[in-house]
Amino acid sequence: MDRRKSSKETTSSKALTMVPSPPISASEAFIVNTLCALVLFFAFWIANTLYSIDLVTDPSLTLFFIWITELPTVTLLFSRYRQNRQRCTYLRAVGRGVLGVPVGALLNLLGAIALGAPVTSQYLPKTVNWALMMSLFTTVPASCVLGSSWTDWRRIFAQTKPNGSIEYLLCLPAHGAVIGAWFGAWPMPLDWERPWQEWPISVSYGAIAGYLVALIASLGFVLACGRPQHIKRE
Amino acid sequence: MSSISCTKLTLFTIAAVTIQLIGLSVFVFGFFPVKPLLSGHSGSESFRPPTCDNDGVANHTDASLPPDRLRFMYQEVSEIQPLYDRLVLMVIDGLPAEFVLGKKGQPPSKAFMEAMPYTQSLLANGMAVGYHAIAAAPTVTMPRLKGMVSGAIGGFLDVAFNFNTQAYFDDNLLAQFSKIGWKMVMHGDDTWLKLFPGLFERHDGVSSFFVKDTVQVDQNVSRHLGDELSRDDWNFLILHYLGLDHVGHIGGRNSVLMASKLFEMDEVVKMIHINTLQNLENDQGQTLLVVVSDHGMTENGNHGGSSYEETDSIALFIEPKTHAFNHSSPYHDTIFQVDIAPTLALLFGVPIPKNNIGVLISQMVDSLTDDQKLRALQLNSWQLFRLLQTQLPGLSCRNFPCGAFVTNSGPRISKCKDSKEKLFCCLYLNAATLHDAWKAKAIIRSNSTEGYNSIVAAYHEFLSSASEWLSHKATDKPINLLVFGVAALIISCLILLGLVVVIHKEVPAWEMQDLDTYVKPWIIDEVFILFGVLILVISMGSSSMIEEEHYIWHFLTSTIYLLFFRKAIQSVDLHKACDFLSSMKEQRNISVCQLSSLILILFSGRILKGWHQGGVNWTNLPDISKWLEQAGSQYINMIQIASCAMVIILGISLLFLMQSKTKVLAVIGFSLLMSGLLVLQHFMNHQHMSASYNKDAILSVQIFYAVLGITTITVVLVLPWVMPMQTPEICSKGNFYLSASVPVGIQNMTPILVLKDCLYIVGCFYITSWCLLQLLLQQSTNAMPVFLVFIQILASMHTFSSSGSHHKQWVEITALYNLGMAGHFALGNSNTLATIDVAGAFIGISSHSTFLSGLLMFIITYASPMLFFLSIVLYISVKATIYPPVIRNRNSGEILKTLLGFPCIVPLTINSVLLSAYTIVLLLMRNHLFVWSVFSPKYLYVCAATACVYIGVFVIVATVVHTYIVLFWLRKSFSISSKENGTLSSNLRTS
Repeated sequence: MDRRKSSKETTSSKALTMVPSPPISASEAFIVNTLCALVLFFAFWIANTLYSIDLVTDPSLTLFFIWITELPTVTLLFSRYRQNRQRCTYLRAVGRGVLGVPVGALLNLLGAIALGAPVTSQYLPKTVNWALMMSLFTTVPASCVLGSSWTDWRRIFAQTKPNGSIEYLLCLPAHGAVIGAWFGAWPMPLDWERPWQEWPISVSYGAIAGYLVALIASLGFVLACGRPQHIKRE
Repeated sequence: MSSISCTKLTLFTIAAVTIQLIGLSVFVFGFFPVKPLLSGHSGSESFRPPTCDNDGVANHTDASLPPDRLRFMYQEVSEIQPLYDRLVLMVIDGLPAEFVLGKKGQPPSKAFMEAMPYTQSLLANGMAVGYHAIAAAPTVTMPRLKGMVSGAIGGFLDVAFNFNTQAYFDDNLLAQFSKIGWKMVMHGDDTWLKLFPGLFERHDGVSSFFVKDTVQVDQNVSRHLGDELSRDDWNFLILHYLGLDHVGHIGGRNSVLMASKLFEMDEVVKMIHINTLQNLENDQGQTLLVVVSDHGMTENGNHGGSSYEETDSIALFIEPKTHAFNHSSPYHDTIFQVDIAPTLALLFGVPIPKNNIGVLISQMVDSLTDDQKLRALQLNSWQLFRLLQTQLPGLSCRNFPCGAFVTNSGPRISKCKDSKEKLFCCLYLNAATLHDAWKAKAIIRSNSTEGYNSIVAAYHEFLSSASEWLSHKATDKPINLLVFGVAALIISCLILLGLVVVIHKEVPAWEMQDLDTYVKPWIIDEVFILFGVLILVISMGSSSMIEEEHYIWHFLTSTIYLLFFRKAIQSVDLHKACDFLSSMKEQRNISVCQLSSLILILFSGRILKGWHQGGVNWTNLPDISKWLEQAGSQYINMIQIASCAMVIILGISLLFLMQSKTKVLAVIGFSLLMSGLLVLQHFMNHQHMSASYNKDAILSVQIFYAVLGITTITVVLVLPWVMPMQTPEICSKGNFYLSASVPVGIQNMTPILVLKDCLYIVGCFYITSWCLLQLLLQQSTNAMPVFLVFIQILASMHTFSSSGSHHKQWVEITALYNLGMAGHFALGNSNTLATIDVAGAFIGISSHSTFLSGLLMFIITYASPMLFFLSIVLYISVKATIYPPVIRNRNSGEILKTLLGFPCIVPLTINSVLLSAYTIVLLLMRNHLFVWSVFSPKYLYVCAATACVYIGVFVIVATVVHTYIVLFWLRKSFSISSKENGTLSSNLRTS
C-alpha cells in the first residue's frame, strides 16, 4: 500500500486536463463521513429495534437495510461533488450513481466468488445483498463523482493515487472496506462453532469496520491535503 | 555491488540443503523415537527363562494347539492357578482418580463421595482396591487403550506407518485371551472396534463424535448390561462409557452434570457387582471387575497433555468376595497405567504381552501362595528382560545359569552400579539367584519370611528400574537432539534467505537500464507475498487452520492473482489505444490477453476449490466430486476422456506454437500423442472394472509407464543434440521481444536462443506427460481438476511471458508455488493421513512392492506441486533474459546463475521457512491435545513436501545444466572437430 506520490511518476493522464471537482473543505468532508457512518448505524438500529434482527440472526435482511439506507445518502451526498459540473447536472450524477450500484455489486460479487464465497442457491440472497452493500461502500461514491472516466477510475482504484481531497474520500473508504472484508474472512475456517463465522457475517463485519476506520483516516488525509490548498487560495 | 559467483551460490545452496536435511532427520528421530517393537505374540516360551530360548520350536507347538489345550498348557507351565475366570473391564472415559480416591491421601470432595456411595462402600470394606494409575502422554483415548491392553507405550510413527488401518496388531491382552478361546463382548466407544476388528462376539459401538451428547452415549451401553450380565457365554466384557468425558468437555471438572454422571457410573458398578455376587452362588467361577479410566482431565475438561490432572487416571479392582485386599491404605497407592496389563495377564494365566513395560501390582496377587507370587514376579522379570535385550543388544548376561539351579549355599548379592547393561544384568541376576536358592531350600522353609521378602525386594528393584528405563526410553524426547535439529533448520533457513536477498539485490544492477520498476522500493504484490508467508507461518499455530489449510492456500493464491489483475489493469488504456499508433494497439492486445488469462486462472481456481470439500470439519458439505459420483460413472468417464483429450490437444498445440517447425517437433508431438492415446485407450477399455485387478489393464498401464519413461528420458537427453542451430529470425514466439529489442550481438545469442527453445520443448513435454500420468493415476473424479491445474499453469506462463508484466521473478515463482499448493489441496488432499489415495498406489503394479507403491502414492499425492516444479523449466525458457554483455563474456556461471538462481532458491527458501516454522510449532505443541491427530500428520506432510521440493529442484537443475552443457560445450567441440566437413559450421561461428 504505497500512497506516496512519487515525483518521478509523471503519467500521461495528468496531461489530459479534466475539470477537477472542486476541493472539499474539511468540515464538509467531516459532515459527509459522519452522515455515512450515522446512516450505517441507523440501519443497524432499524434492524435491531423494528425487526429485532442483527447481522448474525438474519444477515440478508440486515445487509438489505444497510444498503437501502446507504443508497440515498451516498448518492445524494457525493453527487454534489461531481466532476465536470458544466456538463453534468446533479440529477445525472445521482442517476449514474444509482447505475453504479449493480455494476459495482457485480464486480464485488465476482471478486468474492473468486476468493471462495459459496455459490450455492441458499447463500445467493446473502451474497447478493453483501455485494450490494460493498458496492455502496466502494464504487457508488466514485461513480457519482467520476462518472465513466476510465483514467480517473484507474488512477484511484488500480494505482491508488488519489489526487485532491474529494478523491481521498472515494479512495480510502473503498480500499478500507475491501481490505476489512479480506481480513474478515480469516476467522471463517476456525472451529469455534460460533454463528458469526458463517459467510458473509464475519466478512460484513470486517468490511464495515474497515470502512469506518477508513472514513476516519480519510478525514485526516483531507485535513492534511486541504491545508496547503487553503493557503494557496488565500 | 555485492556479487556472488555461481559456484559460491551453488555451494551455499547445497550446504544449506544439507544442513536442512541433517537437522530434519535429527529432529524427526528425536521427536518420533523409533523403539524396537517386538512383533508377534508371546507364547509358552514366555514361561521359560529368557537366555535359554530355542525360538521357533515353542511357537510352532503353540500355534497348533486348540484354545482349550493351550489354556491348560499355560496353566501348567505358569504354575499359577488363575484366581478368576471372568473379567469385566469397565472403562469410564476421562475419569480422574481424584474423584474417587482423593488427592494426596485426602478423601475426595464431599459431593463426589456422595455421588458414588456404592463404590466408596466397596473401597471402605476392602472389596475394592483403587490406584492412581498414571497414564502416559498423549492422554488421548486410543493410545491409552492400547497402553492398557498391551502394557506398552507406543510412539507416533507406529500410528503413522499403519495409516491404512487402525487395527492393533502388536501383542496385547485381547489377542492373548482370544488365543485361549475366550469369548469377548464390547459395548461402548467404537475405538475398540477399530482397534480389534472381528474380535468381539457381540458389540455395540458408540461414536464419540457428538461431544454435546452426554446421555445417549451411556444409555446405549447400559441398555445391554442386564442382558449381558445374565448371560454366561462370555469371558471378557468391555464396557466403555464416554459420557463423563463429554461432560468434562462441555463443563469442565466442576460441571453441574458431573455428580449425576458419577452416580450413574456408580449404579453401573453396583449392578455389575451385585450380579457377579449372585453368579458366585451358581458356580460360574469368579468374576473380577476392573474399573479404569483412560485418562484424566484438566479443570476445563480438556486432556491430551501430561499435567497431573490429565494423567491421573484410575484403576479400581473390585472382587465379589470381601477377603481379598487388606485395606491398609486404599487411597495412597500409585501405579502406572501400563501395570494393568501384566497384572491381568498373570491373574488370568496368559503370557504377558511382549512389549509390556508394566510391573505386576503385587497387592493383587496377595491371595496366592509365596511360591506362586515369586513365580509371578519371575515371569514378569523374564518378559521385561527379553524386552530389555532388544533395546540393549549388549545385554546378554553370559554367565546366566541356564536351567540348572544354583545350589551354592550362600547366594551372593552384589552391589549394582555400572553401565546400563551391567546394572540390569546384575539386578536381574541378584533376584534370580536368590529365587533359585529359595527354591532349592524348598523343604526346609520354616522361618523363611525374611528370605522371601528379600527376593521380592530384589525382583522389585529389577522390575521398577527396568520399567522406568523402558518407559523413559519410549516417551522422553532427547532435548539436545531436538534443539540441534531446530537450530540446524533455522541456520539453513537463514542461509537461504540470505541468498535470496543477495541475488535479489543483484538483479537491479543487471536490468536497471531497462526496467524502471526496480526503482520503486516496494510494490503491493511483493509486500503481500511476504505477508502471505507470514500468515501461513502464523496459521500453523492453530489446529483448525491446519485442518482447513486448503482455505488458506486458495485464499492467498486468489488474492495474489487478483493483485496481479489489478496491476494488469494499471496499464490498460481503454480510450487512448484506439487513436494511437499500432504499437499502442499491440500493447493493448497484450494487456487484454493478460487480463483474460488472469481471469481464466481465477475462474479455474474457483472451480478447483469447489471440487473437493477438503479439510476436516466441513467435509460433509456438497461439492462437485460428490455430485459427480451421484450422477453416475458414465459422466465421470466422459469427463475423464474429455479432459484427457484436452490435455493432449493443448500439450501438442503448445509445442507447435513454436514457430520453427522442425522434424524434431513432429517426432516429439507424435510421442506425446502416443502416450495420450494409450491413456485414452485405457479409459475406454477399462472404464467399468477396477484397474488394479485386471490383467489387461495392468499390461496397458505398464506399457504406458514404459512409453512415457523412455520418451521422457530420450527427449531430455537427445533434444539438445539434435536441435538445429537456427538464426534468431525464426525462433519461438516467446523470444520475439527479446530478439527485437536487442539487435546487437545476435550472432552471440544463437546458442542462448536454442537453449530457450530446447527448454521450452522439454518443459512442455514434462508438464504434458506429467498430466497424462496423473490422469491415469488419480481417482477418476480428479481428471478435471488435473486439467484445470494444467490450464492454470499454462495461463500463468502466458501472463508472465507477456512483456506487459513487470513483476519481479521471485514474485512470479512464489505465485506459481502457491498455485501448486492450492492445486495440491484441490486434488482432494488434506493434512490428515486419511485422504492419501491408497487404491491408486497399486495401479499397474502386478506384484506387491512397497517401494513402487510408495512411489506411486507420492506421485499421486504431490501431483500438483510437482507439476509446478516441472513447469518451472518452461518458465525459465519463457522468462530467460540474458544480456549481451554476459553472452559476450561467455561466462557460463553468470548465465546459469541468471537462469537458475531464483527458480531454484525461491522454492527452497519458502519451503525452508515453512518447515522451520512448523518444526518450532510442533515442538511448542508437543503437549497439545491434537499433537497426534493434527500436528504430527501435518508434519509428515511437511516432510514429504520438503522431499518434493528437493526432487523438483533437482529435476530443474539437471535439465537446465544438461541442456546448457550440451549446447555450449559439447556441441561446440563436436562442431569444431567436424568443421572441415562444413556441416553446421556457418551457424556456429560464434567467437
